[in-house]
Amino acid sequence: MPVIKDAVCSLCGSLCDDITVTVEDNKITKIENACILGHSKFVGMFEHDRIETPMIRKDGELVPVSYEEAIGAAAKILVNSRRTLSYGWCSTSCEAISKAIQLAEETGSLIDSTANVCHGPSALAAQEKGAPGASLGVIKNRADVIVFWGCNPVHAHPRHMSRYSSFSKGLFSTKGRKGRKMVVIDVRKTDTAKLADRYVEIEQGSDLLLITALRSAVNGHEDVIPQTVAGVSKEEVLELAETLKNAQFSCVFFGMGVTQSRSKYKNGDGVSSLISDLNQHSKAVMIGMRGHYNVTGFGQVATWETGFPMAIDFARGFPYYNPGETGANDVLVREEADAAIISAADAGAHFPQKAVRHLAKIPVIQIDPYANPTTELADVVIPAAVVGIEAEGTAYRMDAIPLRMKKLIDTEFKTDEQIAKDLIAKVRELKGGA
Amino acid sequence: MQAVKLSLKKANKIPIEADTVSPDNFAGKTKEEIEAILAWYGNGQCPLGDFFTVEVEGSDSTENTKIVFDGDVSRVKRIGQGMSAGEIEINGNVDMHCGFGMKGGKITINGDADSWLGCEMKGGEIILNGNASYYVGSGYRGESCGMRGGKITVNGNAKDYLGEHMCGGEILVTGNVGLLPAISNNGGTIVIEGNATMPASEMKNGTVIIKGEVSDMLPSYKEDGTEEVEGVTYRKFVGDVNASGKGVLLVK
Amino acid sequence: MSEILIKNANLCDPIQGINCENMDICIRDGKIVESVSENAEIIDAGGRLTMAGGFDGHTHSAGKINVGRFINPNDARRKLVPGLSGPEKRTEKTRAQVGYNTPNTYAIGYRYAKLGYTTICEAAIPMLAARHTHEEFKEIPILDKMGLSLFGSNWQVMEYIRDKEPEKLAAYVAWGLKASRGYGVKIVNAGGGEAWGWGKNVNGLYDPVPNFDVTPAEILMGLVEANEKLQLPHSVHVHCNNLGKPGNYETTIETMKMFEKVKPTVDRQSLHVTHVQFNAYAGTSWRDFETGAPMVSDYLNSANHLTFDLGQVIFGPAVTMTADGPVEYANSRLLHEKWSNQDIELEDASGVVPLSYSPKSFINAVQWAIGLELALLVEDPWKIMFTTDSPNGGSFVNYPEAFTYLMSAKKREQVISGFGQMALDRMVLPGIDRELSFYELAIMTRSMQSKMYSRPEKGNLKVGSDADIAIYDIIPGDIDPSVEHEKVKQAFSGAAYTLKDGKVVVKDGQIEATPMGRTYWVNAKVPADIDSAMQKDTDIKFKKYYTVSKSNYMVEDSYLPNPVEISTEGVF
Repeated sequence: MPVIKDAVCSLCGSLCDDITVTVEDNKITKIENACILGHSKFVGMFEHDRIETPMIRKDGELVPVSYEEAIGAAAKILVNSRRTLSYGWCSTSCEAISKAIQLAEETGSLIDSTANVCHGPSALAAQEKGAPGASLGVIKNRADVIVFWGCNPVHAHPRHMSRYSSFSKGLFSTKGRKGRKMVVIDVRKTDTAKLADRYVEIEQGSDLLLITALRSAVNGHEDVIPQTVAGVSKEEVLELAETLKNAQFSCVFFGMGVTQSRSKYKNGDGVSSLISDLNQHSKAVMIGMRGHYNVTGFGQVATWETGFPMAIDFARGFPYYNPGETGANDVLVREEADAAIISAADAGAHFPQKAVRHLAKIPVIQIDPYANPTTELADVVIPAAVVGIEAEGTAYRMDAIPLRMKKLIDTEFKTDEQIAKDLIAKVRELKGGA
Repeated sequence: MQAVKLSLKKANKIPIEADTVSPDNFAGKTKEEIEAILAWYGNGQCPLGDFFTVEVEGSDSTENTKIVFDGDVSRVKRIGQGMSAGEIEINGNVDMHCGFGMKGGKITINGDADSWLGCEMKGGEIILNGNASYYVGSGYRGESCGMRGGKITVNGNAKDYLGEHMCGGEILVTGNVGLLPAISNNGGTIVIEGNATMPASEMKNGTVIIKGEVSDMLPSYKEDGTEEVEGVTYRKFVGDVNASGKGVLLVK
Repeated sequence: MSEILIKNANLCDPIQGINCENMDICIRDGKIVESVSENAEIIDAGGRLTMAGGFDGHTHSAGKINVGRFINPNDARRKLVPGLSGPEKRTEKTRAQVGYNTPNTYAIGYRYAKLGYTTICEAAIPMLAARHTHEEFKEIPILDKMGLSLFGSNWQVMEYIRDKEPEKLAAYVAWGLKASRGYGVKIVNAGGGEAWGWGKNVNGLYDPVPNFDVTPAEILMGLVEANEKLQLPHSVHVHCNNLGKPGNYETTIETMKMFEKVKPTVDRQSLHVTHVQFNAYAGTSWRDFETGAPMVSDYLNSANHLTFDLGQVIFGPAVTMTADGPVEYANSRLLHEKWSNQDIELEDASGVVPLSYSPKSFINAVQWAIGLELALLVEDPWKIMFTTDSPNGGSFVNYPEAFTYLMSAKKREQVISGFGQMALDRMVLPGIDRELSFYELAIMTRSMQSKMYSRPEKGNLKVGSDADIAIYDIIPGDIDPSVEHEKVKQAFSGAAYTLKDGKVVVKDGQIEATPMGRTYWVNAKVPADIDSAMQKDTDIKFKKYYTVSKSNYMVEDSYLPNPVEISTEGVF
């Protein structure tokens, strides 16, 4: 029986690449090294609600059809649309993302990733101030101060702390956790916070106040800091600033608690400035704790192919970018989109009600291995192979390191990449015929 | 004098991109010529006549051309983009990017304006008799300079990031503003008669006056006595210290 | 079989010693041949200037440039150079385009081709992220590509040098090139990337790297020994220490001198020093900053073991991007600009900072002059590669503008007339009246690259060479570039024809076809016993320090859709 070593886990942005997978009769029978989340993805594939066949909604019911028929129906929707939203493409390979972008370009659509509802503000922050980061191994080998701000890796990225951060050991961090200070900043005492040397509890939505106070402290302007900031005493702000300044190498890992709280991208912008200020004293970097395993990849591919990382509007034939105007939620809430193609994401479950209500009114094409609330809204459903298990391809870790995901078992399902290619071909055929 | 009246035939959801609608582009043109001007609508272009009933009186230069939108154009973007002279009056709500990069002339909006009103404006005047959304007088994504000149008056409230990256010109808001007005600005004057939250973050230069309540004052300003403006005494703050800023923030 | 006959070409091909002579060029199946049949398709060059396709041997066009795009969405809409920048709609033949300094991948391919360029070399591949470089290569149409892998702050490299293990070092370099599918050895601020791991830098050639007990000089000498042991087609490609600092010209000359004793094992230079403009600064601070180009040029005129490229500055917005992490951080603080940083575990650092060069800034004016001084004071054009270190000194789409600076003293005077007295006092350019010929320009933009990268089929139109050809709308005998510099710029901005492997890809400045180019990489053979001893050491590195598995480190074949493997035999 084949044992596949060093498989890449396609669950979260940690993209652990040391998974050992045993395959028997084209079934995964054993998983080693994965965390509980990754494990459930590898083996749970068969327990999940898999979409078994392409379907088209007829008289209100989804009825099974061939791939060809589903792709034909989907292409027809795209060709007849004036403003298609293409959304998702983060739990898939870069190769599929590339084709999805081409499809959006050829159909004058708008394409956006799940960053729209998670780390999109991190991109906006980087566009204000840049993103001073490092690969995760740099943290592993060097960091003596690690800050988790608005994130909870114990639950969201279970192996992060052992492989890359708090507990990892490296050339200059031989003592692992013992040689490190771990700080958690959050609005509630999470399970990650329980492991920290210092837990700083801040008032909801006041991240930017604390970031600004830390900057003032680091830059020698203690006098402007009031006695309490963001629910934190001045004394504690100054202590935290000292901890960071006196570190040999510090890293701030930030999550959606930072990017999606009040003042959103200005928080990331502030963290970036704080990192720059800290480097006047000691080495410091920041890394976003990206959720979907290849949301970073979407940003990379979209940026080299269109110039922009997300929220790209091809209406005029060239890419235009303006989150707030061209984001997936922006055009759904405003009821602009007259068709939608949703892949490897669940807009039905994660979008605000108003956006979902609009999705229910327009033709929706779903490309996904699994049924989810979006399926209930879909008019054409195209099942796909699970990337990283049934299909190979590239994914980018949260620190922008690209890895090759392996194909572990065979499948009859088409890959996202192939489906996107088929759609491009069909759209061309329909347009050519018109 | 040339007067052009545009009345939307039917309310639209997909925005009409009206960057071709400005006195510069309409001056001296007949009704038929204006009707034939193309505007983007989703992924295709249509003549303005498809969307609007166009009435034209007279024919004149750009300075002497006035465009009136009769009624709601809350899904018509970029009206008056780059205009250099003349006048636009909008009697209803207007969509994003109204007056984007305008250099001169005047836009009056009797209704609410969506985001990016007067974005990257260089000159001229915008008077909004209604509420504004996000990013009044700001810059495009990634730019370090937003509004550079001219004046925007909001007779109502405005949402977040008012005057972001502003480098010059004037913004007056008679009502309240949302989060982070005057963020990263580097010149110009912003007067807010109502309330504001976290004003003037990372201001390098410029003047911000807030006559109402300030919530969540950022811990990056040095208090520096008082200053009197038009007979009213304000507490004076200087900063942002983290941007080595010389901006002046005057607070009640 | 496809055949083309280019009639009446005014050929400028320095490798063959042909200086603007009218002749016919025969092409069969993508190669230059002696003759073609009567059925050959005919292109009438009409006596216009014809050269081999341009070869940009140092450009940031895949990988790190993506960070530049990412943090500067405002660059996408910049239309500073008509026809070669800003948003352009998709067409039947081309993908949508955006950008100026950091264009999307498609625009990079199309726009280089419009300039008559057909080959580029990406200046920096971080090995751990090499897949990324190749993923972007796949989406750059038309051009042939190669990339240089970063070794200058690599732990394994420094340890082998410290422990005096030259054979294992060579084996590691060979393996690294194979893993990253690189073409050559790039060294950026030797040792500085590791120092930047602690927020520090190395200061000059003899400042030891923290914790590794080696100096930048030892890293350079160790890597050049490995480079020559492996008989690599390119020499080591060095970004000197102290880049961007007033007074750094001394370090630059010292570095160049160190390589005098190196004996190259391949018929090429033993050292390439890159973007020397940034490393030819005199003075002791930005206050008394002045040109160091005369000193550097004097040395270069006396030396025959090296080549260099300019890193010419173009006024206007640019984006700096380099593995020199500490320099980028310093830039961002000095200029109050956005700062991106990406340190790569065990390997190197990097940073990206946008900026703008203004003729009103005396520093920028002097930087602009230094590039040109180097090009004009160094007598032998075979030592000089023309670059802007795109987009560090400015975007490659400005090459035609820059060519006019080289070819016309009048054009230079025009620019210089806008400088203040302080700038004029710190440069020597106003006193230089040399004007380059088309022949010299051809050397700097394609021919010297052929030798420098040991690609005999590139940069010339000998029989057997690749039929990569640019025809520019200039009749050399009828034009005085010194006076008619606008015409020269116009002609170089949109080739009348660009042929790639014998296929017309550009006609009248417009894209005609977008074939997929090749990717060159080097597979250097190493004795099995040395290789396996080295592998044992790297196994430990992966097990203990890297965060990816060794088996996932190697770039797979599927990332190179059109690979050309250059095999070399190591001398051990």
